[in-house]
Amino acid sequence: MKRNGLRALGLATCAVVLVSLIGFAAVDVASIVENELIEEISKAAGLALVGDYTLKTLEELEELAATGRTPGVRLAADRALFVLNEKQMELFAMDDDALLALAEAGDQDAADMWFFHNRSSFTRPELVEEYIATAEVETLEIAAGKLLGGFYIPSSPIGAKTEDELVELAKNGESLGLRVAAATALTAIWIMDQPLTIDQIRKEILSVTLVYPELALAYQGYLAYQFSLEL
Amino acid sequence: MKNVLILAGLLLVSSLAVFGQGYDAMPADAHVIPIGVDGTAYADLELGVQGGTLNIANIEDPKAWNNHTAHETSTTWFTYRMHKGLVALDHITGAIVPDFAKSYEISEDGLVLTFHLREGIKWSDGTPLTADDVLFTYNDVVLNEDVDCNSRDGQLLPDGTYPICEKVDDYTVTFTLSTIFRPILNSIGVNIMPKHKLAQYVHKLNPDVPAGTFNETWTLETPLDELVGNGPWIVTDYQVNVSVTMERNPYYYGYDPAGTQLPYYDKIVSHIVANQDVSMLKFRNGEVDVYGLRPEDIPILLPESASKDFSVMITDLATYGTTWFLINQDVGLADGTDDEKRELYRTVEFREALAHLIDKDTMIQNVLNGLGAPQWGPLSVPSPFYAGRDYYGGPITETDAVIFEYDPALAASKLDDLGVVDADGDGWRDLPSGAPLTIELNTNDNTLRVGYCLILQDDFRAVDLNCNFQVVDFNTLVGQLFSSTGDLIYLGLTGGDEPNSGSNVYNSCGSLHAYRYSACEDPDEVDLRIDELLGLGANTFDLDEAFEYYKEYQQLLAHQLGYVYTVLRTFQYAHYNYVGNAQAASPISTPGGNNGLLTELCFDRRI
Repeated sequence: MKRNGLRALGLATCAVVLVSLIGFAAVDVASIVENELIEEISKAAGLALVGDYTLKTLEELEELAATGRTPGVRLAADRALFVLNEKQMELFAMDDDALLALAEAGDQDAADMWFFHNRSSFTRPELVEEYIATAEVETLEIAAGKLLGGFYIPSSPIGAKTEDELVELAKNGESLGLRVAAATALTAIWIMDQPLTIDQIRKEILSVTLVYPELALAYQGYLAYQFSLEL
Repeated sequence: MKNVLILAGLLLVSSLAVFGQGYDAMPADAHVIPIGVDGTAYADLELGVQGGTLNIANIEDPKAWNNHTAHETSTTWFTYRMHKGLVALDHITGAIVPDFAKSYEISEDGLVLTFHLREGIKWSDGTPLTADDVLFTYNDVVLNEDVDCNSRDGQLLPDGTYPICEKVDDYTVTFTLSTIFRPILNSIGVNIMPKHKLAQYVHKLNPDVPAGTFNETWTLETPLDELVGNGPWIVTDYQVNVSVTMERNPYYYGYDPAGTQLPYYDKIVSHIVANQDVSMLKFRNGEVDVYGLRPEDIPILLPESASKDFSVMITDLATYGTTWFLINQDVGLADGTDDEKRELYRTVEFREALAHLIDKDTMIQNVLNGLGAPQWGPLSVPSPFYAGRDYYGGPITETDAVIFEYDPALAASKLDDLGVVDADGDGWRDLPSGAPLTIELNTNDNTLRVGYCLILQDDFRAVDLNCNFQVVDFNTLVGQLFSSTGDLIYLGLTGGDEPNSGSNVYNSCGSLHAYRYSACEDPDEVDLRIDELLGLGANTFDLDEAFEYYKEYQQLLAHQLGYVYTVLRTFQYAHYNYVGNAQAASPISTPGGNNGLLTELCFDRRI
């Protein structure tokens, strides 16, 4: 009886330790970025760890950006390189033609910067929506979507949409740009309102990742923020 | 190691050379700002703690450090923070309040203003600040023809004389006026300069220096430890094209109610950047703490605000100025044409009908992208005299606003009542006689104004008023304005805090009384009352009394509908949430685009 009691106590202790480890693992962002198989969760961890990655050498980062074992590692390294190489100011100094050429070659940062340069031509959501409707370059369509997302946020003075409208648009928007816009706005709303725990966000990602990639992208941004609070 | 210690010692000595040690205790005459005190305009602000650095961005290098010869905001942004005057505009309410003067009083005849200075206050180098500094500033700098002073014109009284500034004792000065003119209070509050540092550069005080020497004093070449001020900050470092650093003045006389000396921040570092886009990038990257944003920045910043923990302040406070269309009540008068149209334009009910056709909500949404506010009167909303306030400097409640709601049906009904109906069946309303009525609406090539006019044209046409909108050259438009040859003209004016400075526009004989120049020779009762109120408001030092005069003045003008006011852009800025009290007002700029002075009340929440 005594032995059974001890065994029970030992099992209980193990269970507590196991639960603790699982709980710890849930917020061990460095471990997640190394091991997580779900792309959005891995990338969320990667985004949260960019600051830590900037402490690595350029050589390490270039290696990780090219051959890191998970999408999150590659993303964290790529974003850390963006910071360390001061690529933002390099892109800022480029003219629009150069940015467009890079964007057409697949450089999302260049596309984002082209929209930053030209944002005064897109002062109303309709103008961005018109651009998206005829966009032929994916990076530019995504960049336009990010800008449009700023108009869709409920606190925006024009173009605001409700959370329900945004979820629907992120799922079934007729173009990539519109879905990205909805995802951008949703991420911001959720970060402000904090409706879900980390575990709940992970579950939501698992439920939508293969069906609604842009909705998963919205959760990815939210999860990245939540992970960053755990560091 | 030894060298490091020696260097540290030198730096300390250098620092002590710039600044004195500060007060041993809060001076009895300190200026206590009622931060967090219920019942004051500062009730919503929080008490802060000292420490930290506020990082901001400016687009241009300063041109000098001389407050009184500066002509550009790139310089005054810094000099206004180094110096303060006898009175100042309140940070929150915009009202004139004592500043370096602890109080002031007006003689019974209104001709002598007596200012009582704060005693025991020192310049940033520890030298006592007295009435001699005030007299030096006013008599030897501001009114000195040898000095290229930017604030001399503002000291002129209506009769062309200047106030006479005299010392009563070390802490009392008087200004004697030849005529009662309250707006002079704004001008008398010029920033005070240190006599012990600058008198030697004034030719009339030191004939050994050539005339004009003061204008070349405190340039960018001046060693920074020569700069001395009485304001919250002193410039301590300047790197050309890189940054300007200001540090707290240990002898500043501002304190919070808990006895903490202001400013809260130890330093402001102003990073000099190539343009506003760089400033925005630096804000997004967290390199600067506050950013004066533009409307096109909002969709980029809003999604980032939550994750980066900053606030995009989309205020409903209109900027300074007015936008309007005028209805030219003298149309055709010069060449003896358009008699009936002129009579119609002079009928207030017709002007009311047009006022009911201004769809301000659509203007704000479609032209200003939601970042605008309706305007109904001639005075800038931020002014403490704005009639939408409850009292001088009080909260804006719009209790007594004169509003003509957008109501096309009511407008049509008023036009019907005037006999302005479609007499010939062509689809357009005609003059009461049946003659065609065409309203010519003109503005210049300005994107916002064109946008407003297109909306107006649509709404006029929706009630069958034949409105013909045209964009004309700006000089042509101004020519129409001054020659009274236009019909309806859409334009805007800059504005300020003092209603009396609008006399050139609203006095019946004003040079810009463009909606009816003939009022100068043939004023009606309303014109005469407006003229009287402008004078009454300026001729009393009782600010509450002046407010009541100016309130009636604004309401009369709003009812008169000579200038018909539309909408104005509102004021936006963004700040990281760790900058305490930045939610109350922008630390870097005001709605007028001038110098926000709230930097001394902001603090770093992370400390």
